[in-house]
Amino acid sequence: MKGATVLTCLILIFFATVAWGDSTAWEAVWQSEDASSRVSLTGQANTMAVTDGRQLSATAAVSVGGGKVRFDYRARGRSWSLIDDGLYLMRLQPTLKKALLLERPRLAVDRELAERNYVAREVASGVVAGRDAKMVEIAPRSGGPVVFRLWLDGETGFALKHERYNVEGRMTSATEYSRVTFGVKIAPDVFAVPKGWVKEESVRSDEALSVERLSFRLGFMVRRPRYIPEEYRLMGTYEKRWGRRRLRAAELRYTDGLRVLSVFQHPHREDWSRGPRREERGRGGGGRGRDHGGLGMGPPRPGEMTLVDRGTDKVVRYFGRDMAVFVIGDMLSDELVRIARSVE
Amino acid sequence: MARGNHVKDQLSDYVVGALIIREQERVQRHLSECEECRAELAALERTGEKLEAFGLMDAPRDVWNGVRQRIRERAPAQRRWRPAWAMAMGAAALVLIVIGVVLLRPVGVGEPSLIVVAEPDEEMQATIEGHLPTAWAAPLADHASLGLRLELLEDDG
Repeated sequence: MKGATVLTCLILIFFATVAWGDSTAWEAVWQSEDASSRVSLTGQANTMAVTDGRQLSATAAVSVGGGKVRFDYRARGRSWSLIDDGLYLMRLQPTLKKALLLERPRLAVDRELAERNYVAREVASGVVAGRDAKMVEIAPRSGGPVVFRLWLDGETGFALKHERYNVEGRMTSATEYSRVTFGVKIAPDVFAVPKGWVKEESVRSDEALSVERLSFRLGFMVRRPRYIPEEYRLMGTYEKRWGRRRLRAAELRYTDGLRVLSVFQHPHREDWSRGPRREERGRGGGGRGRDHGGLGMGPPRPGEMTLVDRGTDKVVRYFGRDMAVFVIGDMLSDELVRIARSVE
Repeated sequence: MARGNHVKDQLSDYVVGALIIREQERVQRHLSECEECRAELAALERTGEKLEAFGLMDAPRDVWNGVRQRIRERAPAQRRWRPAWAMAMGAAALVLIVIGVVLLRPVGVGEPSLIVVAEPDEEMQATIEGHLPTAWAAPLADHASLGLRLELLEDDG
């Protein structure tokens, strides 16, 4: 009897410790998310991304202050800059003296959902860019490979090293600071387009609409997928302009707290079955135009499905009877296929 | 250009987009050089546009009755007698074919196939590009790495 009581106490202490460790780690993670609005710094980082099976890498001089971030990249023998001022993503092209402005998307981060679906653990400590850091791993509660490894500055909570893994456990991006100085005063014009440069703004509507209102606006019935993994919640429904032809499409955006899944849909285009438009001939591509990469001849068959795995995200395109559906996210192919098929 | 190289026979497939890329490009090259085939293509497109303008119409109900009557009139008067054994053989062959089709049917037939492609086409590329800014705003986003992808994706596009 005494032994059983001791065992029960030990189990309770174990679970309490795990839960406490989890909440402490999450606290550190969210603190790192807010760090860019609390700290100012300059530094040097090495960054890499895997896309389309290739590993791309660059070095970036980084400036952070007042919630704004600027990266000055060097890669492939060229340099360019990117500014996030909280409202716009600005890509500066020095050779053209041009800035491409993209309205910064605003996502309502659901931290409660993230903590429900993922577990965060402080697993080690180390030194990054000469500063003490603690390493936090984030993995799905339902099992599966680690999604994030973050090395958080012991003093400010800023992420000094960041590794992202996809659903199959492959590393898809990593950034590590080699040098960092906190408390630096940064001039406001660092986060602005230089005077005299041409500004080109790309329109991006992130106005969330109801499915009914979006259907009315687009002129076709927007359908919700009948299947979405239970960890995911709908964030919003948006109108999108698609590709070179600015085709109007609907986007249903979901999140599990950390990953974002988008389901795009638009009606079949009539000209697919008629071949390329007269003005488009000469760009190649057979009956579906270049859009279909010459995969087949004639119009797409209902049920036809195409998958592209870019490393970070996978995209599945599915042709229903009267609807083309695109599903993009960091998810197993089978799941993406199941979601796409359930839209009909 | 020699007549043997004309592409008139392929123009109808070209118009509806039923040619494979290589053939389509060959036809395009030829059209850029051959006045005669261009004229043929223009005529074909005019015809198509006129036909589309007509739309589909319902045939009068008695048209099919007239066609059926004429077929009957022209058909041979006597019917051939088929012996019973020939009909039995035919039925047996049909049963064997049905069994064969059922047993030898490859697994997955009827299910849409998943085509895995290495290079995204234009629409899939647009999906990826459209999703990237969303990833930027997602929690715990690695902005330094995403900035790299954003720039290089543009280069590839």
